[in-house]
Amino acid sequence: MGTTASQLGKDLLSEYQELTFLTKQEILLAHKRFTELLTKDEKDLPNTRVPAERILTLPELKSNPFRKRICHVFSTSEQKDGSLTFEDFLDLLSAFSDSATLEIKSHYAFRIFDFDDDGTLDCGDLEKLVNCLTGETDETRLTTEEMRQLINNILEESDIDKDGTVNLSEFQHVISRSPDFVSSFKIVL
Amino acid sequence: MTSYSNGAFFNPAYHDSETLEIDRSSGKTHHTNPYAGGDRAVAHYSTGPTSSDDVAGRVPWGGWQEESWKGRESIPMGLMSTRPGSPSWQHDLNHSTFQIPPGSQYDRSTSVRLPSAPSGNMTMRWRGMAMRRMSMFPNGNPTHIAFTEDAIRNEMENEEQNLVKELVALSTRDRILAIRDLPMSVDEKKHIRSQVLAFKSSKQSRQFTCFADCSENVSLSFRRCGYSLRSARQTLELWQGIMKEIGGTFGTSVLSYFVFLKWLLMFNIFSFLVNFGFITIPLLVFDPSPNIPPNVSFRGLEILTGAGYFQYTVMYYGGYSNETLRGPVEYNMQLAYFFTIAIYMVLCGIALIFSMASSFKKNYVLADPSSNKAWQLLSSWDFSITNERAVRQRKNNLRVQLKESLSEKAQRELLTLSEKLKHFGVYLGFWLLSTSLTVGCGASIYYLCQYEQQRATDAANWSLLQEAKTLLVPFVVSLMNLVVPLFYSLFNKFEHYSSQRRQIYALVVRNVLLKMSILAVLCYYWMNVVAKKFSCWESMVGQALYRLVIFDFLFLMLGSFFGEFLSNVIGTRLIPRLGVPEFDVARNVLELIYAQTLAWIGIYFSPLLPAIQIFKLFILFYIKKVSLTRNCQPPRRSGRAAQMQTIFIALLFFPCFVGALSMVAYTAWRLTPSEQCGPFRGLNNTFNVVGVWIDDLGGIPGSQWVVWIYENVIRSEIFYFLISLIIIVIIYIFWQVTQGRKQLIGLLRQQIVNEGKDKSFLLDKLQSLQKCQPDKKSKQKTQKKPTKRRLDEHSLGGQSNSNAMVQALLARQQLEEEEERRDTGGMPVPSDISTSSALIQAMLARQRAYDQDVDEHLSSSSALSQSVQARQRAEGQERDEYYSTGFSENPINTSSAVAQAMQDRQRAEEDGADDLPSSVSSVMMQVMQARQIAEEEDRPQWVPAPTQNPSPAGSSALIQAMLARQQAQNEYDDGY
Repeated sequence: MGTTASQLGKDLLSEYQELTFLTKQEILLAHKRFTELLTKDEKDLPNTRVPAERILTLPELKSNPFRKRICHVFSTSEQKDGSLTFEDFLDLLSAFSDSATLEIKSHYAFRIFDFDDDGTLDCGDLEKLVNCLTGETDETRLTTEEMRQLINNILEESDIDKDGTVNLSEFQHVISRSPDFVSSFKIVL
Repeated sequence: MTSYSNGAFFNPAYHDSETLEIDRSSGKTHHTNPYAGGDRAVAHYSTGPTSSDDVAGRVPWGGWQEESWKGRESIPMGLMSTRPGSPSWQHDLNHSTFQIPPGSQYDRSTSVRLPSAPSGNMTMRWRGMAMRRMSMFPNGNPTHIAFTEDAIRNEMENEEQNLVKELVALSTRDRILAIRDLPMSVDEKKHIRSQVLAFKSSKQSRQFTCFADCSENVSLSFRRCGYSLRSARQTLELWQGIMKEIGGTFGTSVLSYFVFLKWLLMFNIFSFLVNFGFITIPLLVFDPSPNIPPNVSFRGLEILTGAGYFQYTVMYYGGYSNETLRGPVEYNMQLAYFFTIAIYMVLCGIALIFSMASSFKKNYVLADPSSNKAWQLLSSWDFSITNERAVRQRKNNLRVQLKESLSEKAQRELLTLSEKLKHFGVYLGFWLLSTSLTVGCGASIYYLCQYEQQRATDAANWSLLQEAKTLLVPFVVSLMNLVVPLFYSLFNKFEHYSSQRRQIYALVVRNVLLKMSILAVLCYYWMNVVAKKFSCWESMVGQALYRLVIFDFLFLMLGSFFGEFLSNVIGTRLIPRLGVPEFDVARNVLELIYAQTLAWIGIYFSPLLPAIQIFKLFILFYIKKVSLTRNCQPPRRSGRAAQMQTIFIALLFFPCFVGALSMVAYTAWRLTPSEQCGPFRGLNNTFNVVGVWIDDLGGIPGSQWVVWIYENVIRSEIFYFLISLIIIVIIYIFWQVTQGRKQLIGLLRQQIVNEGKDKSFLLDKLQSLQKCQPDKKSKQKTQKKPTKRRLDEHSLGGQSNSNAMVQALLARQQLEEEEERRDTGGMPVPSDISTSSALIQAMLARQRAYDQDVDEHLSSSSALSQSVQARQRAEGQERDEYYSTGFSENPINTSSAVAQAMQDRQRAEEDGADDLPSSVSSVMMQVMQARQIAEEEDRPQWVPAPTQNPSPAGSSALIQAMLARQQAQNEYDDGY
């Protein structure tokens, strides 16, 4: 632990503590896990980006149906390839940590669910979301009729202004009424 | 709220501040603009002629897009993320931040902000903005970056400045929390933070004091200390890895059982420490050897029965003395015993009430179980699940649940009366059956106790057989607790409850009834029979409780081994139809609750019972974990874990803790303590300890006030009467407040729905208009007139919200027309800027209208007039530009526009006066009027002037739009 601490630097560590919802242990653990993903020559470089494929080998993300979206949302890469720097990785863990607020969690959940990145959850996004949750293959998927009905139900519940899409405020409203969300929107290293 | 908006209208600073803010934000690029400055800033932006069509044409679209007009603009999101990396711009930004003199205009602009809840307001705003950024830059081709980059840069700068300003105003702690709560990447947060700190230090350097420095350092070190405490706590966290593993395979609902178990464990560790520290240790220090009669020895069976040897140790009430221990300090055992138990009970109660209340607030008050079922299913996906198989299973379960919820919805209406009657009959039958089972159990326990009591003697030492016979009652009780719930689960299968929730509630209620009635019978027996028969009856009760706890533990182990293991074997080998059993969270938690009730009841009779409980829970955790991973599958139904947890805490409080407390309190108040043993020997009842103590205190000078308090507060009925009266009044007031809030929520919701309807209606209208337009470019004017007329009528009809929106949409339509005109190869029209700014004015107006409407429920008239104003201004400008660009500048037309504007405004004013004869609207009208006139007058000068710089004007328009949007977001969010 002493070596990892010295690698990160005390100031940097306290800065991360201040800016994220993570504790010192969590940051150090995250750092350890992150450096394990780096190859040998990458380790010397500062601010290395780890490509999404390697991030997704983490067991915590490997079987998550939203893994690609998660990488995409938290990546600050210009190529939009879902690669993460260590700070992006911390962001991810911070949003998914126990102490993150409902606001942060619902914000990121919205972005994860917003598959086409257009700022609203429309029918296409909802369909993808449901498919993600029930499985992508043909036999696990809901039928078209069921899907239509389900999306209607969803919009009926949450689309307060009846414009056919769910926007962030509506989403957060509906999330604030689903108490299970906070406890289940959680990834612990 | 009301004062805010009123203040804003009366206070010209409100308008000024807005303009100044905008002015400042673009000021650095503006310094060549000869018109910039002062109150006319808005007018500049809205009418400044430019030749940069592209900027003007596209910019408003960016702002508009989030109103569900998506896909038009495509600027890659990369722009936002590369932001901190672009050095030149960052330089600009810092530059501007530091150059702002923290002087008058600055303070004015911040003072107008909503004074209440600055941080909440801010995060809302910021969140809104971040979202807007997202919606503004969907991924796509980067072709349009060039036009909008400047504008967006300015806009973001401005917002960031606002944010930084607000952050600077906060205290250090709040600021850290606020920054942490921003939905941005670490890099961006760092950037914001460095700005805030730099700003702060630049501000502080003037008023530098040693004190400020010191306090900063102290707070920093406190913060560091806090972080390390948090870290340390996490290191000490028990069973972290196991918890993660369980959560990763079985999901949160099963995990909640283990969390609950851990919570109880902590509770018991606390109570053990309290009891051990304040009661047992002092006794052991002064009198280390237990007074065991010579003929009693340890035989081994005591571990099960708790009798014999244990009876004379500090395990039970009887082992404590009533003396005042004299050492370096005097330690009154009586008082220590009494107050330790009492304070412990009070602390327990407070802790329970707090956790229950917060859990209720989180999970029940906010939750609306009926309305958002589909979302509850979708949002309850467990991100913590890491096991591949579990993920697949969970997906399957979710699919089944989704299908069920769909069919349930379809099915619900089809129930006929006879079916309903049948269901009702079934429920009634099973309820009767389960209640009679409960009553039967209670009665049999009572007779068993009586039977046992006839045999038992008050002898000092029992034979082994006698001792073993005492195990009969706990054995039967535990057996009942094990078997009867299984029957209940069986009943549940036949009952076909329509919702899972009701099913679980029925199960829980029956189980709780059973357990509580058994305990009630036992308590009655202890209070009324044991207390009269035995010489040291408290110890006897303590022993009985000890046996119950031990047997409960044994049966829990047996239950998990045989219950889960056997059903696993049956499910996999014998009857594959049943399948692998699920972990029944409800039943298991109820068992824990029962165990904890025993521990609470026993706290008076056997102060060290928590030690047994700690041991029991600790072992149980591992047993349950093994049993779970070996024998069980994840629950088929997910969701409701949080609500179930709330119910469990509530159950722990209501029948269990309250029951235990009343039992102990009854004992302390009414029953005579045994005469030969225990700390309270010789007293009439336990509570007399306090009376005796107060009498003693009366003799000591300087402690009269304690006596006074005792006489006049603790023992006076008036005091309690007053307290209850006050509490009832407070409750009533709060209840009224909640009722009011509920009404308000309903109103706001209705408003949003109306708004949405208007929006969709207008969008349809707009689309149909767009369709028929391209052919009639030449007739544009004539075609527009009737629309406006109609809309005018509409707006005067009183729907202030919708008409404001109509204006906005109309303005937007105009913009579109202009664009079309340009695109089709007509003359280059440099009027887009002003048109767009007109549009933004309209939006602003709409926004204000909405704000007021929400805030006051009254000022619809003022909102109305304002929107009319805005529309009319837009119209005026539009026409003006039309003439000034299409033809030579025509002063007559301009003046006619002015005239018409005046007319319109007057009409609006009259309407306002009719609707609401308040001064608010008229004052506002005047402000608007003055500004408008200034605008109209300025325009002729500007038209011939060459274009100065396109981007500032465009960006200011955009910023205004953003501001409007932001306000909208705030209001919308505050509504919730």
